[in-house]
Amino acid sequence: MLPSYIAHQDRGLPTMTIVTGEASQVRQPRTTRLDLLRQTWSSRADYLYVLPAIVVMLVVIAYPIYYTVELSLFKTPPGLQLKDKSFIGLNNYTTILMSNVFWRVTLNTVIWTLASTIIAFVLGFALALALHREFFGRGMLRAIFIIPWVISAVAASYIWKWIYHSDFGIIGVVLVQLGLVDRPPNFIDSVSTVLASLIVVNIWREFPFAMIMMMAGLQTVPEQLLRAAQVDGASAWQRFWHVTFPHLRGVSTVTVLLLAVANFNSFIIPWIMTGGGPSNASHIWITHIYELAFGRQRWGVASAYSVLLFVILMTLGYFYVRALSQGDQREPGA
Amino acid sequence: MAHVILKDLVKTYGPVYAVRDVSLTVNDGEFVALVGPSGCGKTTTLNLVAGLIPITSGDITIGERVVNDLDPKDRDIAMVFQNYALYPNKTVYNNVAFPLQMRRMSSSMIDQKVRDAARMLDISHLLERRPRELSGGQQQRVALGRALVRDPAVFLMDEPLSNLDAKLRVQMRSEIKRFHQDFDATIIYVTHDQLEAVTMADKMAVMNGGYLQQYDTPAQVFANPVNLFVASFVGSPAMSLIPLEVTTAGGRTILTSAEKWTIELSDQNARKVQGATSRKVVLGARHSAIRLHKSQVAGSVPAKVYTVEPTGDVTFVQVFLSGTVVNISLPPTFDVEPDEQIWLAFDQNRMHLFDGETELALQA
Repeated sequence: MLPSYIAHQDRGLPTMTIVTGEASQVRQPRTTRLDLLRQTWSSRADYLYVLPAIVVMLVVIAYPIYYTVELSLFKTPPGLQLKDKSFIGLNNYTTILMSNVFWRVTLNTVIWTLASTIIAFVLGFALALALHREFFGRGMLRAIFIIPWVISAVAASYIWKWIYHSDFGIIGVVLVQLGLVDRPPNFIDSVSTVLASLIVVNIWREFPFAMIMMMAGLQTVPEQLLRAAQVDGASAWQRFWHVTFPHLRGVSTVTVLLLAVANFNSFIIPWIMTGGGPSNASHIWITHIYELAFGRQRWGVASAYSVLLFVILMTLGYFYVRALSQGDQREPGA
Repeated sequence: MAHVILKDLVKTYGPVYAVRDVSLTVNDGEFVALVGPSGCGKTTTLNLVAGLIPITSGDITIGERVVNDLDPKDRDIAMVFQNYALYPNKTVYNNVAFPLQMRRMSSSMIDQKVRDAARMLDISHLLERRPRELSGGQQQRVALGRALVRDPAVFLMDEPLSNLDAKLRVQMRSEIKRFHQDFDATIIYVTHDQLEAVTMADKMAVMNGGYLQQYDTPAQVFANPVNLFVASFVGSPAMSLIPLEVTTAGGRTILTSAEKWTIELSDQNARKVQGATSRKVVLGARHSAIRLHKSQVAGSVPAKVYTVEPTGDVTFVQVFLSGTVVNISLPPTFDVEPDEQIWLAFDQNRMHLFDGETELALQA
């Protein structure tokens, strides 16, 4: 789930930086623009080299984006008879914003994204700190903690579906055996607990990513700074607060943003475990869009949803790039 | 300020000795350099004094207190690190104030102390900047300021100059020396650069293999190295060391090389080699104690020029003698070519003699 997303982000982002670069050039006087043209012409060979990549990106990214925006303005008939589509302007958007389901799904998405991101990050960071110090069996624990992240999300979802099962689930059995409840609880068949149950699975799957990122970050904290703080009289907590944490600000920002974007785009876990049910209680944006498009063939509405999601994600992407480039600026002085 | 006493200090890592039976006294206001090659135990010794690593055995006394079991913050020390270890996210002001803030001093007290230290070190105009906006020299002064505000009993400095370029290093060297003079600071300074130790310190402690080899003033260490290691480590270019064999015949004491050339020793030097445990001795001579002749003179030995390195004021010549390289300094006017046959004469009064087996200096 995560890797494919990161790859997508990486492809999408450089374009954004180039756009901002050009935008600032436009405000320059005319002579500069001529210089820019001359510069462009003199380095035309460079453009030739990146041309294949640009063509591929136009075909597999730009065109789908354009087509999605176009479709969002049309009413599409069921089935794949897209030639019968009719232009309805922004009607799809009004339909979406007026519907109760939209707000329900949006709230679910916000809860899902925030809870998963924050808890997975805090848990991963805490484990990274715990595993940073050397002790017997550390390597083994690291390996064990990474397992959730490396096994297939589909397989994990099926396993968790059984773990949660209201009749045969291991959690329910254990709870009954311990005498804590009379009957196995309904984790994913109840409107009130389904979202939280899925979030637990998602956190279980994602915390290793945060852990690895923060472990890598921790290894770059200069030993001398920690010693200096120790001599200066800082306690273990103060050393963390004044030295370690500020040093990890860049990697923390990037980790949180990557997690947030990945969670926003989550599909596999909710789709396989509940398919958005019961009664939309575990639908988030992506599963809802998928159901609209491929379940109910409402291409126009699904496209409009996608456009809204795209705008939100690009905003997050902007902050991601900014966090990354701030890290670059910090580097030389550090 | 206070004195520091190390007594039979030992640090082991498993079976490996990092520091072995080191005893030395740093007097109040003294600048002592711990010097030696990588892995000699000098930084470990400093960290033991700082309390950053626990000692295996022995005692460390700072002022009147044995500090063996005290935390670094309770030892009344301040430390200056390689790269200065300034907190990159804090302003200069907060860097200097940090040790005081950790001691929960009132903010008005802190403000006064920080500004006083900043004035003394001439960094008042930098207080709002961040470390990355400072030059190497300014960073060093901030690091000194952070140490100074604490008013510690002793300053510990861990190779503070080793990451600077050559020019800045010379400049910072004099700044630290000035700092020592101005504040009468007791300083223990770790360096692998013997030149830094010789130029800055009141006393130098030469270490090797965890052992303290010699502890004396730089002049004494330079003039009377106690063993072959100290002789080869201190001084630039290094002292030339030539392994020879001693023979006595008819009241004359003679050193013979593998190539059979000989040097007759003066009476005083002859008395020195009487103490040798075997016939093997090592002749040591600094570059200025060897005279180069274009033709054979009495008491000179044949050698061949290897390289000639003019430095402006003085020309250093490397010469092959009995398979070892001998360094000689010459006035720049002296004309000598590589591969030229020359003769060397050793100054008997400035000659060092070492036991070939024990490697200790031979005394009369």
